[in-house]
Amino acid sequence: MKTFDSPSCSKTTSGNIHSGFSYGLLTLILLLLVGCGTSENNVSNGNRDSILHWGNGTEPQSLDPHIATGVPEHHIITSVMEGLVLKDRKTLGPIPGIAESWTISDDGTVYTFKLRKNAKWSNGDPHIAQDYVWSWWRAMQPGLGNLYVYMLFPIKNAQKYYEGEIKDFADVGIKALDNHTLQVTLTNATPYFLQLLDHYSTFPVHQATIEKFGTADQRGTRWTYEGNLVGNGAFRLADWKINRRIVVEKNPLYWDATNVRLNKIIFYPTENVTTEERMFRAGQLHVSNDIPADKISVYKEKRDPSLRLAPYLGVYFYRVNINQPHLADKRVRQALAMSIDRDQLTKNIVKAGETPAYAITPPGTIGYQPPRQFNFDPEAARQLLADAGYLNGEGFPTTEILYNTNEAHRKIAVAIQQMWKEHLNIDIQLLNQEWKVYLASESAGQYQISRAGWIGDYVDPNNFLDLFLCDGGNNRTGWCNEEFDRLILEVAPKAKTHEERLAIFTQAENILLDEMPMLPIYIYASKRLIHPSVKNYDSNLLDQPSYRDIYLESPIEAAEKDTNL
Amino acid sequence: MAEPVKDMTKEFEEHGSSLWKDAWIKLRKNHMALFGLSVLVILIFSSLLTPWIAPYSYEAQNLDLGATAPSMAHWLGTDIFGRDMLTRIMYGGRVSLMVGFIATAVALVIGILWGATAGFFGGRIDALMMRIVDILYALPFMIFIVLLMVVFGRNILLLFLAIGAVEWLTMARIVRGQVMALRNLEFVEAANSLGLSQWTIIRRHIIPNTLGPVIVYTTLTIPSVMLLEAFLSFLGLGIQPPESSWGLLINYGVETMEEYPWLLMFPGIALSLTLFALNFLGDGLRDALDPRTSKD
Repeated sequence: MKTFDSPSCSKTTSGNIHSGFSYGLLTLILLLLVGCGTSENNVSNGNRDSILHWGNGTEPQSLDPHIATGVPEHHIITSVMEGLVLKDRKTLGPIPGIAESWTISDDGTVYTFKLRKNAKWSNGDPHIAQDYVWSWWRAMQPGLGNLYVYMLFPIKNAQKYYEGEIKDFADVGIKALDNHTLQVTLTNATPYFLQLLDHYSTFPVHQATIEKFGTADQRGTRWTYEGNLVGNGAFRLADWKINRRIVVEKNPLYWDATNVRLNKIIFYPTENVTTEERMFRAGQLHVSNDIPADKISVYKEKRDPSLRLAPYLGVYFYRVNINQPHLADKRVRQALAMSIDRDQLTKNIVKAGETPAYAITPPGTIGYQPPRQFNFDPEAARQLLADAGYLNGEGFPTTEILYNTNEAHRKIAVAIQQMWKEHLNIDIQLLNQEWKVYLASESAGQYQISRAGWIGDYVDPNNFLDLFLCDGGNNRTGWCNEEFDRLILEVAPKAKTHEERLAIFTQAENILLDEMPMLPIYIYASKRLIHPSVKNYDSNLLDQPSYRDIYLESPIEAAEKDTNL
Repeated sequence: MAEPVKDMTKEFEEHGSSLWKDAWIKLRKNHMALFGLSVLVILIFSSLLTPWIAPYSYEAQNLDLGATAPSMAHWLGTDIFGRDMLTRIMYGGRVSLMVGFIATAVALVIGILWGATAGFFGGRIDALMMRIVDILYALPFMIFIVLLMVVFGRNILLLFLAIGAVEWLTMARIVRGQVMALRNLEFVEAANSLGLSQWTIIRRHIIPNTLGPVIVYTTLTIPSVMLLEAFLSFLGLGIQPPESSWGLLINYGVETMEEYPWLLMFPGIALSLTLFALNFLGDGLRDALDPRTSKD
């Protein structure tokens, strides 16, 4: 097994120790020059032993599914845990997971799941329907501070229980009818409910383990550490070295273990995208988390099969703090939105096939086309700014764009800074902060304009629009519109047909775009480098891999390429 | 007896004033030092005149143009925003040289005063002052700067002062060591016995003898200060886009050094040229100003 820091020299050099110091030294130098030998790298070793080396971007915030909120956490948690339902790796349609089958009542509000009899926890305990009742009860404990708790709110009385209106959990629509039957009752027919069950916020957790290391609603206990974590997924946590790697190994007790072909997955916290790309080229990674924007054209020219650019259900936008006096006027916000040249940004700065965004919802999400209210129009923007009292930008206070320290965010901010300077004649400063500080500033409202991105948890416009609910944990702009809240929370869930529901979303998004508490910038594209030996890793809209299907097969071309490097 | 002593001091003064003349004559013979000096003079003048002689605007972008290799229109190429690199390096030089000189001057003034005082008086005063230096040494200086920036806000002048305020410690130690060694040497005793005042002794004998190490250390401080500024700016505490400095340009250039090598190469050359020039000049000045060699 190799470590992250010292790739594979030891085996080849050890044979030379007897040959005298100078010869050994010479060999060592030669080996360093040729990059520690071309045949012994993570990728070729991994292909032989079925170990997938995965660039995961960053150290996860937590592996507790009811605490984590990010994408890097998602990649690790879904390897060690599983929900009732899985997603098809291409179409993202629901396929059986821990539940082998389910029935839905005619009105779409009662779901009855049949759990697999052979499903087990990774310590051998039987995995039963009561586990879900307890897990979802835990997820709804206010003390836990679960930011994703609203994923469970389609369930009858769940929100009321969370907010303390109902004290008895028995009134919430979650029932274990017997050991292997779970019945979930919803408030309204929720078309995306099955999709939620593949999101980590609805994953079951092992009660005995959590209670061994603390109380149910205690944050940051040791239950997720290596040696402690008990999951129900295709893999189990084997090793966790902070800021170096997280290793998961095949779980022999997994219900479908015979079909899992990988022996191990090693996740690396590859924070610097330039370094990550070099690691990939040196054969240290099978899959990269990202690729530097300026490298994309190089890979495209070479027609390198490793490069994969795919549509990604996510939107990059700027939050505008509407509690700042000069940003409280919606004409100012509209002017800012209209003077960003998104075509320039996507074509010349981010360059991976991202598309300009003029609304918060990515176009084409289950057939939904968001309304378009504005274009890039500096003339009209100047007029709006003048109407708001800042003729030719005069008197407009210097405004700060906050972003988390990252190359790509900086480039976009620098470009937008200059666009606003040029088109609106206003002065912008940039402020970068480290990830956690940035999150704290943003939630505390200590910013003027702040960079943000939102990746879909499930494929539905609701997932993007409900960001801007008055008391939404991810709103953070201070914007609150009662009509918007009513449409999203009360009207849309009661819609009779798909078309009617989409029409309500259009109505809500029109309100949002008119008020402009956020400036949409572009729709994401997923960009990764994937070694040709990785099979069954299909691209999908949520960029979610299905580890239980992935296998490694060293193709002849890949072998040749390795020796040529 | 009073008359002869007076005459002798006069003679000393005349001799002392020729130290700089001697130094200049010796420096002129040192070609590397002269080269360093002229490079620095050119850089300083072009920095001062940048707003009038820069070929393009340092902030105007041309995203469609993007990063292009050196050409007739853009001698040093353009960066990923289509901004002229020559212009950006010239503007970056203003910030870098300013940081280098101002922060080093701050460090120099505090360091020499502190070190000379401690060294000259010795005893309890020395112990107390040097313990303060030890304590400041033990503080992680980054945290100190970050705190200063957080409390007083981001301000470029403050940045210079803050860097200078943490860079004086080594200078103080060097000066103190020199002063302590010199204080007990025979020529100082001789000057004492001839009735020179303490201030004259410091001015005539002690400071010229400490100049060598101080100048060498100064030439080393300027580059380290420039790099420190780049680091702080990278953390978001120093100067912010669209402004730039050489350190920042290099930082950004490293990321794309394979695709657009000129973005790294030219700011790198500018910085290294400055550092070489400073080192050559520093070496030359040290040799020229050393009173021990001047007597040969």
